[in-house]
Amino acid sequence: MKKIIVENLKYRYPLTKELALKDISFEVDKGEFISIIGRNSAGKSTLCQALVGLVPHFYKGAYGGKVIVDGMEVGKSDISQLVSRVGIVFQNPFTQVTGSKLTVYEEIAFGLENMGIPRNEMMERIDYSLELLDIYRYKDRNPFELSGGQMQRMAIASIIAMKPEVIVLDEPTSQLDPQGSEEVFKAIQSLSKEGMTIILVEHKIEKVAKYSDRVMLLDQGELVDFDVPHKIFSMDALKDYGVEPPAFTQICRGLEIKVKETGFYPITLEEAYDLVVKADE
Amino acid sequence: MKALSLYYEANTPVHRIDPISKLFYIAAAIAIPVIVPTKTAALLCLGVSVVLLLVGRVFRRVIPIISFSFVVLLSIIVIQSLFYHGNITPLFQAGPFVFYREGLSYALHICLRVVNILCAFAILVLTTKPSDLIESLVRRGLSPRIGYVLSSVLQIIPQMASTMDTITDAQRSRGMETEGKLITRIKAFFPLIGPVVMNSLLNTRERAMALEVRGFNSRDKKTFLNEESRSPFNLIIKLLLAAAAIFAVIWRILP
Repeated sequence: MKKIIVENLKYRYPLTKELALKDISFEVDKGEFISIIGRNSAGKSTLCQALVGLVPHFYKGAYGGKVIVDGMEVGKSDISQLVSRVGIVFQNPFTQVTGSKLTVYEEIAFGLENMGIPRNEMMERIDYSLELLDIYRYKDRNPFELSGGQMQRMAIASIIAMKPEVIVLDEPTSQLDPQGSEEVFKAIQSLSKEGMTIILVEHKIEKVAKYSDRVMLLDQGELVDFDVPHKIFSMDALKDYGVEPPAFTQICRGLEIKVKETGFYPITLEEAYDLVVKADE
Repeated sequence: MKALSLYYEANTPVHRIDPISKLFYIAAAIAIPVIVPTKTAALLCLGVSVVLLLVGRVFRRVIPIISFSFVVLLSIIVIQSLFYHGNITPLFQAGPFVFYREGLSYALHICLRVVNILCAFAILVLTTKPSDLIESLVRRGLSPRIGYVLSSVLQIIPQMASTMDTITDAQRSRGMETEGKLITRIKAFFPLIGPVVMNSLLNTRERAMALEVRGFNSRDKKTFLNEESRSPFNLIIKLLLAAAAIFAVIWRILP
């Protein structure tokens, strides 16, 4: 079943002349892990926000085409209706704290209170999402007293508690230290295992290579390619789009080592190791 | 992080009274001394407030609040003792100034009322979590948006203050003088304001989006994580307060 269908999406921010998204079409299946890559201002964040309805409802501006998430047309629905289908996590963990709640537990309840979820179900959902993101032990802390990684996991938990079918993560680890981003990546993995459809924007290319089912390459608002990571990272012109392939791919490209079955370069350490060691023997 | 509230955490009967009953109490403590304009009534209300503050173990925290208003009270006493229009009986003389008994008595009455109002508010402020107060107001029909503004201000202002500190440190590390004479401090203030304001504006936009995707503008009926205490105790308090107010009105009407 298709979870996300995007047809000929075009979008221009108010007071700008250039289109931020130029005629983008793609489809995503249930449970897929999709990464979006591309240089800065390629339209990655705009596309993410178009999936949750912030584009066009929050920004206004000129909008064309269709985005359908879980059977609901984004352009014609309110953001508050969409929140039960699709959730988004932003870069900065700080600004995602509502600031009106005194404990992590209450903070996660914020969205559920707005949705009008009955109290018993609310508590079940909060417990579930706190466990899933491994922050249950911080439930009575003040949200502002958490570390960056913990705070970002709380932000993810507060979206998960709203039980969306699709979760969009817009550079969730870009403002975190290595330990914090490792924590967040583990959390994203456990979401993926739960069968959730994930859209991730990320610059840490090794992570993208490791986890993604498919990778979407954007450049200047256009969709360049949308395919399995091996194929994307073996593209000759990848550097022209401002993307460095994973280190392992670059090394194997230099050594002309390809995976025999597919004809693409390896993209993870394990693959590269297997191939290099075998080639030596 | 410092929270912007005078709330003192404890587990006393006064803390367990629901915020709305405390609001009713404030109304009664202001109204009754006005309806019954005797010093006894004001003293009685003040006495009740002091007992409640003692039970709530926050009496010591009221003293700074009262001493803060002490200057105003003192000026009331001086001016009324000197210039009250009904002044007849001189009490004592200090240089060219004559203090009168009637003025002093009137001033004391005003002071009593002011302290009484302060104490009544102190019960609410010192023994109620701000978030609980706002939540019970939202339950009773206050717009959730206004509720959010009120409760977030308490946390976000300290956040802004810490941003301000970070920026101050950054500017200082680049050689800007931020300490010393008043004029140096004023000069240092302007380069700080730009980044702080810009930073808050950016944060506000991001926070607005984050709220939006958590259903802040949802039209569904809001539910609450915390259960409202429905003990008959709170109803009894409200009834007692209403009875006291009615009693005061009757006392006033009867000759």
